[in-house]
Amino acid sequence: MEKGYIPSKEDFTLLQRQDLYTDTNFASQSYWKSVAMHFFKNRRAVIGLVIILLIILFAAIGPSMNEFGYRDIVQYRNENNKRVVAKGIAPQIPALHKLFTGEELEGNFSQYTFLFGTDDLGRDLWTRTWYGARVSLLIAFVTIIIDMIIGMSYGLVSGYFGGLTDNVMQRFVEIANSVPRLVIVSVLAIFMPKGMGLVIVALLLTEWIGMSKIARAEMLKIKEQEYVLASRTLGAGHGHIIFRQILPNTIGPIITQVMFSIPTAIFTEAFLSFVGVGIALPQCSVGTLIEDGFNNITTLPYQILPPIIVLALLMLGFNFIGDGLREALAPKLEDM
Amino acid sequence: MKKFVALLLTAALILSVVSFASAEGNVLGVMLGTNVMSLDTNLATDGDSFEVIADCIDGLMQMDKDGAAVPAIAESYDLSEDGLTYTFHLRDAKWNNGAAVTANDFVFAWRRIAKEAGEYAYMLDEIGNIKGAAEIISGKTDDLTTLAVSAPDEKTLVVELTVPVSFFPSLMYFATFYPINEEFYNSLADGMYGTSPETFLSNGAFILESYTPGTANLTLKKNPDYWDADRVKLDGITYQVVGSSDNALTAFRNKTLDVVMISGNQVDAAKKDASLAENLKVTGAGYLWYLSFSQTEKNAQGGMLANANLRLAISNAIDRDNLVDNYVMDGSLATYTAVPPQFAASSTTGEDFSADQGAFADYVGYNPEKAAEYFEAAKAELGKDSFSFTMIYGNNEGDEVQKVAQAIKEDVEAALPGVEINLQSMTKTERVDKMQNDNYDIALTRWGPDYADPMTYLGMWITNNSNNYGFWSNAEYDQLIADCTTGAYITDYDARWAAMFKAEEIVMKEAVIAPLYTKANANLITAGVEGIDFHPVALNRVYKDTTK
Amino acid sequence: MIKYTLKRVGMAVLTLLIITFLLFVLVRIVPGNPFPSERMSAEQIANKRAEMGLDDPIMTQFFRYLGNALHGDFGKGTSLYYGAPISTVLSTAISNSFRIGGLAVLWGSLVGLVLGITAALHRGKFLDGFCTVVSILGVCVPSYVFLIFLQYTFAFKIPFFPYFFDSSRFLFSSVIPSLSLSLFTTSTIARFTRNEMVEVFDSDYVRLAEAKGMYGRGLVMKHVLRNALIPIVTVLAPLIVDLLTGALVVEKIYGINGIGKLMVDAIAGEGIDYNYVLALGILYSALYIGIMLLVDLLYGVLDPRIRVSSGKKEA
Repeated sequence: MEKGYIPSKEDFTLLQRQDLYTDTNFASQSYWKSVAMHFFKNRRAVIGLVIILLIILFAAIGPSMNEFGYRDIVQYRNENNKRVVAKGIAPQIPALHKLFTGEELEGNFSQYTFLFGTDDLGRDLWTRTWYGARVSLLIAFVTIIIDMIIGMSYGLVSGYFGGLTDNVMQRFVEIANSVPRLVIVSVLAIFMPKGMGLVIVALLLTEWIGMSKIARAEMLKIKEQEYVLASRTLGAGHGHIIFRQILPNTIGPIITQVMFSIPTAIFTEAFLSFVGVGIALPQCSVGTLIEDGFNNITTLPYQILPPIIVLALLMLGFNFIGDGLREALAPKLEDM
Repeated sequence: MKKFVALLLTAALILSVVSFASAEGNVLGVMLGTNVMSLDTNLATDGDSFEVIADCIDGLMQMDKDGAAVPAIAESYDLSEDGLTYTFHLRDAKWNNGAAVTANDFVFAWRRIAKEAGEYAYMLDEIGNIKGAAEIISGKTDDLTTLAVSAPDEKTLVVELTVPVSFFPSLMYFATFYPINEEFYNSLADGMYGTSPETFLSNGAFILESYTPGTANLTLKKNPDYWDADRVKLDGITYQVVGSSDNALTAFRNKTLDVVMISGNQVDAAKKDASLAENLKVTGAGYLWYLSFSQTEKNAQGGMLANANLRLAISNAIDRDNLVDNYVMDGSLATYTAVPPQFAASSTTGEDFSADQGAFADYVGYNPEKAAEYFEAAKAELGKDSFSFTMIYGNNEGDEVQKVAQAIKEDVEAALPGVEINLQSMTKTERVDKMQNDNYDIALTRWGPDYADPMTYLGMWITNNSNNYGFWSNAEYDQLIADCTTGAYITDYDARWAAMFKAEEIVMKEAVIAPLYTKANANLITAGVEGIDFHPVALNRVYKDTTK
Repeated sequence: MIKYTLKRVGMAVLTLLIITFLLFVLVRIVPGNPFPSERMSAEQIANKRAEMGLDDPIMTQFFRYLGNALHGDFGKGTSLYYGAPISTVLSTAISNSFRIGGLAVLWGSLVGLVLGITAALHRGKFLDGFCTVVSILGVCVPSYVFLIFLQYTFAFKIPFFPYFFDSSRFLFSSVIPSLSLSLFTTSTIARFTRNEMVEVFDSDYVRLAEAKGMYGRGLVMKHVLRNALIPIVTVLAPLIVDLLTGALVVEKIYGINGIGKLMVDAIAGEGIDYNYVLALGILYSALYIGIMLLVDLLYGVLDPRIRVSSGKKEA
């Protein structure tokens, strides 16, 4: 019998050096970085983000891109000293027109470029659409931020103290929650003049409830954690614990809720303005623009398109972002 | 699952075979701008309600196409020598439940109006001057028999007035004075009158066929028992509430409605569209929109607006043509007189009181230079160079109002450097409240005529009249008006007419108000429909002679 | 179970009472007269106010109102169709709104279920993506936008459906409004159904059933669907809310005489009609509270796990 093969040094060669992924790499990655990574991998979420950023961009600079203000009526006085107003002009781009047909555009206002056209009173729709988007976005952001602050504080405090405080506070929430937003709006309409104020207050009064519920739920989850106990033992005050220690860990779901509340706010504003309870002239917002467009839909069908598309995109965008955020955040929480 | 879906689709297809209703045959489709408020004459305050009520009920008199009063239920009437007692002789007429129309129906109805003292009760005392009305309305007495309206027999109605009222017969075609059958009314539960075809009686051209309060669609059908049934050619009327001008245009285009009102961009579109332009008809609606200036010291920076030159300056700075052409856009007419045009015509000469809109060109018009002159004069007199006023307007009176307010601000500030106008919007109720309590500087407001006589406007500006929102006072003016209402001119029609002109001139010279525009309606009427009477006062539209 | 039910019902009634009281007080505090008074003299106004008991102490007025309301008498409108008792106007309006809303829920649920099931059964393939996109759009696009689009295309460009609501052919003219209202329902139910079904499909007990030999429709119907329904109940409340608010615009645009239109008229008209706001406010709140109560109870029935626990809900 042959002797068994005895391996020698030459039989072995070192493998290529490989990077081994160890757990520690992941563990030391910051929480937010991994959330972001997760988020950006989600195609829909990215699309949503891009859409929203684009709209915000245009809302900021759009109205200044041409010489018209959102209230300016494009007009001039002709030889008979009569005013000629640029009413109801469909979208026109003289440069393109020349390009395609080789002729100059005709008409009283052929020297202007109206990307979206003019409305029934002679105002440039491009400017108005982006100005309206600006107003709607501002309202949404402002109210939601305030709601976030109020709702979060309320929910965190309620959850933290528990017991009777929590009970009472939650009863109140229940009652507040039982009144449909509509009823709140109508009662407000009795006391407040219709307009931006009414919309903002209505939103303030209703959106905080959602925030507070999430904040409270998070608080309940985290309250019993050891580091909270540690802080308390060390003598930290309630305020410090709630707002300095626990709050940062609840930001995630709160932000998600914010992303979902914004389209609700935008939609509520649009809807209220449309039925005549919201923004009043001469201010314009997405809602009033849709109403104006609707009132002229058979005679100037192009008028309603820009605001409706902006509204749909805004809502889609924020919903996508919200979905993406929720998915990005969810697995991490379970790990914790 | 799939089968169910298929079932649904088939059902939809079957339903689709049924074509939708339009105003077919001999039924007229008419648009209403807002819901009818109520079919009860005591509670209705809007023109639409009055129109529908008048379709179904005839009063003592009715309107002919020029707005003059002609006999309806009253075949004829006698007037006493002193002009204080009217005796109406009723013809034979029936309610649609078979009961006869009697003089007691009028007595009952008028007593009820006085007792309920609703919004239009003032027609009985302040306008009609019926003896005993004021006491019941203000609550001083509960005894309804003190109202000087009586029925000596079934076909005779006697009314006593406190002062002669030359246009009393025309008042009789206002819905407030229509009859109600007492027995029928008492057989109904409280508050149910006029809420459905079963709780409403007609003695007029049409019978109520379908209606519920708040409905967007109500229908009438021809009343075969109408005393003048031969005159009525339509088989029925379908009223539809349409919310926007665009919808109205569409409804007209697809033949759902025959008579619609449009405004704004739709008017332009209709004018440009050859097939529609010929159906367009502008009719006066009688409302005058104007600016009211508070002349008391507690407002306008210590009564600055008490200075006539300042008011004249403001009035001349406003481009009214621009307002109606580019903001209101519904056929409304720029107005330069205190009494609106297309509203009151002299019953002797037939001429419109305000036919000449240039009559006061010296005091009002679009004239920035003149405005500047007036302004210089005002500045010198007041010793001030800059002014700041608040202008209030309603935010629920229609979109045009807001645009008009904006335009006025821009015009005035452009023509009168140094004047600042701050716009303040509020609900109509608040605006009226502020005006009634003299809590404003300038107000953008309107007044609708109660009856077809210039006095309904001019009467507003006598000293201490509750509608004299400027708190202006002029003895000469008061005297002229007094002469017309209770003094020397009540029996001399033409002298009265002339006196009213003089009174109006005073108002314009002092720019007590700055008239802006008179509301008019741009109507689209299906070709072939003839005989609709449009009136700026009382009853908007009358269909008794309409043919389709 | 009984104790749980009673407790929830009691809470609901109490909440409704509190809300009614608050609304009542708010509505009565407002200055001004709840009737048109531009042409009335001061005397007339004072008399009318005394007649309507408007100057009595608030609590007296409240109990009077409550007593009347329990009999179905909500008073009369102050600027909308005054004279006609609110209860009469409301009953027609409620019937209209509920019929159209009911149709919308019906459409929505059916189409939503179909979409969701299709997506789940074909998950990962094109149909799934397509259904998902449709349902997302449905959540984002407000119902009135959809209505405008439907009305423009199917009632104007192609004059097929009636342009306005016609109560004489109820079913036909309610197609467009109920379709547009159903959009949110469809999308939400589709999404939920799909997600729940996918989750359940992968779960153990379904595997077991498959292993035992069940497959196809029987499997779907019996096991999967039933368990997927539970979260749908959760979504019911926001659904109804959306229907109620969406109905406002839809009714206004389409001219339907429903509670939504009444609400809009009451607040957005020339003067606010306080009595209608009050009555409608109570109605809406009652509806909402009722739905939430129903959802709570349904939860208890559908999911035994909740019944067993002490009934303390997590916020």
